[in-house]
Parts: sequence; structure tokens; C-alpha cells
Amino acid sequence: MDMNAPFFKFGLFGDDVSLIVAFIIGIGFGFFLERAGFGSARKLCAQFYFTDLAVFKVMFTAIITAMVGLFWLSWAGLVDLSLVFVSPTYLIPQTVGGLILGAGFVIGGYCPGTSCVAAATGKLDGFVYLGGIIVGIFVFGEVFPLLSGFYESTAMGQVTIPQYFGIPYGLVVFLVVLMAIGGFAGGSWVEKKFAAKAKEAQS
Amino acid sequence: MGREEICRKGEGGTIMKFSLSSLTLNQKLAIVVGVLGFLAVFAGSPYRGFTSKIDSQELASIVEKEIDHISPEELAGWIIAGNVDYRLVDLRKEKDFAEYHIPTAENILLPTLGDGQLERGEKIILYSEGGIHSAQAWFLLKANGYKGVYILRGGLEEWKDKVLFPRLADNASPQEVAAFEKSKLVSQFFGGTPQIGGTAVAATPTMALPKLEAPSGTQPKISGPKKKKEGC
Repeated sequence: MDMNAPFFKFGLFGDDVSLIVAFIIGIGFGFFLERAGFGSARKLCAQFYFTDLAVFKVMFTAIITAMVGLFWLSWAGLVDLSLVFVSPTYLIPQTVGGLILGAGFVIGGYCPGTSCVAAATGKLDGFVYLGGIIVGIFVFGEVFPLLSGFYESTAMGQVTIPQYFGIPYGLVVFLVVLMAIGGFAGGSWVEKKFAAKAKEAQS
Repeated sequence: MGREEICRKGEGGTIMKFSLSSLTLNQKLAIVVGVLGFLAVFAGSPYRGFTSKIDSQELASIVEKEIDHISPEELAGWIIAGNVDYRLVDLRKEKDFAEYHIPTAENILLPTLGDGQLERGEKIILYSEGGIHSAQAWFLLKANGYKGVYILRGGLEEWKDKVLFPRLADNASPQEVAAFEKSKLVSQFFGGTPQIGGTAVAATPTMALPKLEAPSGTQPKISGPKKKKEGC
């Protein structure tokens, strides 16, 4: 039997088993977020003061690992990249959504995933944040008819950067890798500078 | 490799020496990902690496056992019950589709079948006028790894015979009459006209295809009368 991925799309398991798989992956995701220290709002917020860029580094590492992995596995014929879900782009609504999420991150100290991690480790602010998410989802659902026009505006369909700009896929991979390596090096340099400054300010 | 020494010119023009083993794990990983990223530039499109294989014996067995067939009555039952766990694909030309199509069907032409409109995990039911195009499309999809592909038995022709215009023969048995009563309700649900007596050789004036309620698009839609609570 072929073992091509994505396994779910190729019918290796059905909807019910997919929930179990999602649960296991979710636990793994949460575990590693916690181990990276992302269950702490102090750690997460430190990135906005440039004193600790662990969030940036961990997230970018995940992106790079997934991107390079998908590229080469697909190149080797083990993953059918055309079956990997690409969420459709709605340029302006998603930009606004990103800004709202960012503002929420700065104010609350968590993003949705890390707030679950914080709540799971018994942090009170995590529970409050999670409660806020649930209320937010409810309110959004109730007012959705008023927002749906904006929500569905500037629809671009399922586009990727290589497709949209007509540049080779591999080149995008390389550029993102360069961006990441540059980001890591630059990030470490910035961390040192700002951490020193923060220490000076404290003393 | 780890012992290999690399030389490079330092900023002041002096020669600096360092070995790979002196690098931290992060730096080594950065080098690995950098190399993989660099090679990606020359690797070409990742999409072309995927090839599909067919299991001809498995396909033959499916065809032999007819487990890939859906009867028009079965499909009618699903539509009436409001099932949404399938995609009904009309393979005929746009003009024919606009004239009449089975409710919930969407129009996808054979050449565009593999353009990503259908997903491999979905239950897909194909139909054409007779059965040839749907059988060919079935093979194309199966060969490309689509698991749940089915053919509407007899295509639109049989849909008309069995669902829209069921016929009660003159010398029908009591069982056939009872079955016809049920077919009559189904036929009326889909805006058809049950036929009593005569032969099914030619369409009679009462066998006009039901009118579609709205202009046809490619989105699935329910045409015909509203769902009834009674009946099947």
C-alpha cells in the first residue's frame, strides 16, 4: 500500500480517527509550547520589549522545519502538496484580524494557543484569557451578520506566494530560510542589547 | 567531517581557523537548513514529484462486484433525507446542466476534474447522460487516489426512468403497485410525472423535465419542490 501523505486526505483513516490524531498532535503541541516556556505571560511579553525573542525564534523554527520538510518530502513524492490545505486569503480582513490578535497578545500576554497552555498549567491569567476568548467567539458569532460583508471582502482564493508572484517555489524556500537565519542572528544581538539596557534601568 | 578545518579571511586580513565541531548545535542546524534551502532553489517544483499508482486488481474487483454503483433510488433517498456527506458531480456540458440537473449536483467537466475542486477523502458520485463518461471519470479519479468515487447507475437516463417518470405496467403485480406508490411520491418530490400504463419507448407530452427554479451555477443547489415531511 502507498504511504503517501496527507494520510487523512488519502483515506488512511476516517473522521473519527482523525479526531484522535488531532488530539495527540494537540497534546504534543501544548507540551512543547509549555516546555519552551510559553505558559508564562512574562516570557511571551518579553518579546515586545526585545529582551527575550524566544517566541519569535520558536515560531520561526517551526515554520522553517515545516516548510523545508514539506518541500523535500513533496519533492521526493511522499507528500502530495496539492492536497495540503491552504486557507483562502482575504487580504484586508485578515490584516485587520492580525492586528487585533497582536493587540490582544500585547495586552493579555498570551495568544490563543499559549493561553490554553497557561490555563492547563493552572495559571489564573490563562483562565481569564481563555474566558475572554470564549466570550469573544460568542459575541463575534452574534454580530457576524453585520460583519460578514467585510469578513468576505478582498477574497483572493487559495493563493501561495510562489503562485501569486510567479516565482519558483524553491527560491521562496531559500529566501525564507535566509530570512530566518538572519532573524535568529539579529534577534540574539537585539536581545543582548535590550537585556543589558533593561538591567541598567533596573539597577 | 567534524574534524575538517575550514579557513577563511578575518576582518583584519588575518587568517582565522575554526572547526565544525566548535559550532553550537543551533549553528549546525542553521547550516543544515541553509543548505536544504539553497538546494531547494535548484530542485524545481515540489508538485511534480507526486506520481500516482493504480492497483488494477483492486479496481477490477470493484467493477466486478459493482460496489462502485449508486442506484437512482438510493440517491433520491439521500437527497430527500437532506444528506450532505457526498458531492454529486454532473459531467455533462454546461448547456445540458443548465437545462436540467439532479438537485444538489454541481457541474464539473471531465478535463477540469483533477483541478482540485474535489477532495480525495470525499464521497463523490458521478453521473453523465448514460454511463460511459462517468465510468471514464471514475477511472481517472480512482487512478489519482480518490477513494470514495461512485457512479450513478445508468446516468441521467436511468434517473429519468426510475425517479422522474416511473412507469406502472398495465399488468403490474400487487407488489409492483405498492412499490409504484412509493416511487410516485419520490417522483412528485423531484417535480417528475409518474406514468401509468403503456410502454417506456418514447417520451410522452407528460414527460417534460422539471423546470429549474433558479439559473444554474456550479454551486450545489436543491431545485424542485420543498422537502416534504411525509413519504419515504
